[in-house]
Amino acid sequence: MHIMEGFLPLEWCIAWWVLALPFLGWGFFRLRRVLDADREALPLLGVTGAFIFILSSLKLPSVTGSSSHPTGTGLSSICFGPGITSVVCLVVLLFQSLFLAHGGLSVLGANIISMGVVGPMAGYLVYRALRDSRVNVYMTVFLVCAVADICTYVTTSLELALAYPAAVGGVATSLGVFLGIFAVTQVPLAIVEGIVLALVFKYIIQLKPEILFRLRIFPERAITEARGGA
Amino acid sequence: MDHGYLENVAQENGLVNVSPYVKLAVGLGAILLSLVSPNWITPLFLTLTLGGAILLLARIDPGLYARLLLAPLSFAVFSVTAVILVTGGGEVFWAWQPVPGVALSVTSRSVLQGMLVFSRMLGGMSALFFIALTTPLTELFMVMRQCRFPTTLLNLAMMVYRSIFILADQVDQVMSAQRMRLGYSSPREAVQSFGMLCGAAFIASWEAGEDLLRAMDARCYAGRFAMLSESQPVEAGPLAAATAYLLVGSGLLLATLPGALSWGGV
Repeated sequence: MHIMEGFLPLEWCIAWWVLALPFLGWGFFRLRRVLDADREALPLLGVTGAFIFILSSLKLPSVTGSSSHPTGTGLSSICFGPGITSVVCLVVLLFQSLFLAHGGLSVLGANIISMGVVGPMAGYLVYRALRDSRVNVYMTVFLVCAVADICTYVTTSLELALAYPAAVGGVATSLGVFLGIFAVTQVPLAIVEGIVLALVFKYIIQLKPEILFRLRIFPERAITEARGGA
Repeated sequence: MDHGYLENVAQENGLVNVSPYVKLAVGLGAILLSLVSPNWITPLFLTLTLGGAILLLARIDPGLYARLLLAPLSFAVFSVTAVILVTGGGEVFWAWQPVPGVALSVTSRSVLQGMLVFSRMLGGMSALFFIALTTPLTELFMVMRQCRFPTTLLNLAMMVYRSIFILADQVDQVMSAQRMRLGYSSPREAVQSFGMLCGAAFIASWEAGEDLLRAMDARCYAGRFAMLSESQPVEAGPLAAATAYLLVGSGLLLATLPGALSWGGV
């Protein structure tokens, strides 16, 4: 869920940019380390960024009739971790602003925090908790992507509520209103995106499991089990 | 193939020969003016003038521009409604207390606040459209390199840029094939087909990445992409026009500051 250009007051645009910068710095540090260790990583990161962009430009089949787009950040945080995902998100969000008019430049900091930091980090925590458990690969991917989306939506609502606190009840009331208004589109989106990306993993495991072996994101045992049951 | 990306339009717009620095100054300056404006006058001025520049100078199709302006409407309507309901002050037109401690109301000041937020969004989106429709990303990459953005970020951005169009073609082909086979005829079919589409796109993107690496190796890639360092020079005419435009916008902003409330501010 993008905040549109011009929606946040200037002081909040600056505040979210300042908050996003340390995460981007950490992401750059992680990215440099990965690229120094493996020069093959750059083209793969590039096409993954393009994949996330393409994914976000497609309209999801929606049960509420609204127009919703997947974020793809859950997938990126599984494959590359939350640090690199924040940098990939910076690039993807910039392209989304300039290619698709989704989001904006002054609100880029706020969108990076919600879609590039909080969502992927929450998704990554779920992934780390479930990766070596008995929960199967598809359920893990579903939960990672759904949690990443839900956390992105809650963070965006919080950003809006902080900028426009309610006259009665302050930020808490405002947060409740924004959460309520956007729940119509964002909760179904999170569930559908979780299902879609679990299906994506199903096709990867069936057709090209060596990608997952190379990325080492799930134990070989879990992939083999998923393949046998697929 | 046209994917509906603004980049395709930007490559052929009427201002393509104007320096990207001038266009960025106008766009970013307009975003800033819109954000600092305490009333809706300046954002409305920016919306109308930038819209005129996009249609008359950049010669963008009016139908496309109208569709672009409608795109953020759902977010705008939901968000501005929330802003009007939660903010208060002034004469109360309507009030409702759904649960104790939570009061929603429509007041004179909340309507003005909603109008201000909506106008800032219109002004900001117009400025963003101005940049997106007149400045191809290849020119932006040049500007970023000249402004010494980190090479790693630039390389990643250029790699993403190059891959987008290749992938978009493949996704279009798979989606057309799915539609012809009624792949989106019911919600269940649609989710299955969409998952298959994204899975195919991911595998295709991975293979494209491996091919690209081989191609880069064959061309002695050593950590930095070659880029033509030619960009349109800053010419006096466009620079003077951009400066005059931003001065007029700033003047209008200052002129409406003292009477902000009487001019519709909050």
